[in-house]
Amino acid sequence: MTPQAMLDPTHTLSEDTFYLNMGPQHPSTHGVLRLLLRLSGERILECDPVLGYSHRGQEHIAQNKTYLQFLPYPGRMDYLSALMFNHAHCLAVEKAAGIAVPERAEYIRVICAELNRISSHLLWLGAYLMDLGAFTPFLYCFDDREDIMDLLLPVTGSRLTYCYSRFGGVAKDIDETFVTGLRAFIKKLRGRLKDYDKLVNKNVIFINRTRDVGVISADMARAYGLTGPCLRGSGVAYDVRRAEPYSVYPEFAFEIPVRSGGDCLDRYMVRFLEMEQSLRIIEQALDRLPQGPVAPAKPVRVVKVPAGDYHCVYESARGQVGIYLVSDGGKNPYRMKWRVPSFSNLSVLPKLLVNTLVADTIAILGSVDVVMPEIDR
Amino acid sequence: MSEFTRYLGRIASGAASLVSGMEVTIRYMFKPVVTVRYPRLRLDIPEGFRGPVELVTDPETGDHNCSACGTCARVCPSGVISVQGGKKKAAGQDGEGAKAPEDPFVITDSFIIDFSRCSLCGLCVESCPRKALRFSHMYEQCGTSRQVAVVDLVARQKALAAVGCEPAASRPGPQQQAAA
Repeated sequence: MTPQAMLDPTHTLSEDTFYLNMGPQHPSTHGVLRLLLRLSGERILECDPVLGYSHRGQEHIAQNKTYLQFLPYPGRMDYLSALMFNHAHCLAVEKAAGIAVPERAEYIRVICAELNRISSHLLWLGAYLMDLGAFTPFLYCFDDREDIMDLLLPVTGSRLTYCYSRFGGVAKDIDETFVTGLRAFIKKLRGRLKDYDKLVNKNVIFINRTRDVGVISADMARAYGLTGPCLRGSGVAYDVRRAEPYSVYPEFAFEIPVRSGGDCLDRYMVRFLEMEQSLRIIEQALDRLPQGPVAPAKPVRVVKVPAGDYHCVYESARGQVGIYLVSDGGKNPYRMKWRVPSFSNLSVLPKLLVNTLVADTIAILGSVDVVMPEIDR
Repeated sequence: MSEFTRYLGRIASGAASLVSGMEVTIRYMFKPVVTVRYPRLRLDIPEGFRGPVELVTDPETGDHNCSACGTCARVCPSGVISVQGGKKKAAGQDGEGAKAPEDPFVITDSFIIDFSRCSLCGLCVESCPRKALRFSHMYEQCGTSRQVAVVDLVARQKALAAVGCEPAASRPGPQQQAAA
């Protein structure tokens, strides 16, 4: 069934089935996702996600901008992990052009990226629980998220759509206030995670709504190219930070939380446990933060990428980001293909939603955690 | 009978989880408020905040340092800056306004920026060779049309100077610090 098929006058429905448009303005689709559902009563027979409502042609924009000018755009793809997309873009161009990055800059980037991962997970946590009917955790999560934004604001200058990394470094060095503030925040968040654990993780209503709902088997997850917490919730311990380490990640000790069930609760738990691991990474990075410059002495303005094709992978909050860069030696990229995690993660939905109830759609869709501007680009 | 026992067990575990959840909520009820009563109380804007760009006023000349070189306009990803100006007189012929003797005396006629399309990436501020640009601390940006976001920074600076108001008026001074 396609949206076109619905318009076909010869298309008839049997008596007990009907169509339901969920989105693009449905509050629980978190953005402009439209799910076309064919229902029999409350049961879903077919699901067809309709995409493209926030398509801006980002990959085409990349071809018409210089490497430097494309800097603010990746942050507008996944606006919840803008620092990570920004970082990924810089890593890809640096790898292609052979630009060296000072060690301190790379540490700062990792600290900020992990902070961004926590803030992204916190927003997801609050929004997901609100979808399931719990309003209180949403307020607590936003309080913690506000602390992260307050920390990042003086350093990066923005609160959401950060543009902080530059080729060969970062825009601004961190200071002592940031470090002490961050250490205090780590301590605070550890206490808060315990509170969330009490408030949510043992709640019977929450468990009943998520356990054994939307089960993705490990094979199915691999077949659909799922990455990130969705894949790790299905028992596959794949994390780009370990599988193909980039930046300074090999220097840190952290675990990759894996759950084997593949249901909504497992995906939830993976993200929940990931926050603690991100805190561990930040702590180690702060302890070992080297001194030195954070940007090259002469700022990189014109990037010369030798002709050829390059590939760079990155673990964002939602999974694997892949950047395929083709250069013809000119000022602009010849082609810049972004492989984004949400698109693949969403692709499993039509299969996953068949034979579930409408009420479970929200639990399943939320647990997959898609960000629409990232899919539509 | 065992079915009934399980039923009672479910009620008991449900009640227990409810109590443990409520314990957290009640504890937070006695903690300080984390929100700020916004229009009446405001938080201080930190130094690194990126608001719409503005021209830096040179304390010596009371004027801006822009030499209309156009670097910012070329580097801008969204092409929102347009700088008009040119060499009017060579330095020395009319020393007034020249920053350095070897500089050609340049007059910037206009520095027009469309804030509505600016993504605040900071490339213009970083690329400016004369450090003539900086981020303002304005954050309450709204207007009734798209046109109000298009501002000539040179004209605005002049107009503000005419009424004895520094362009830095866009940087609010110490405001009421909200009680943490």
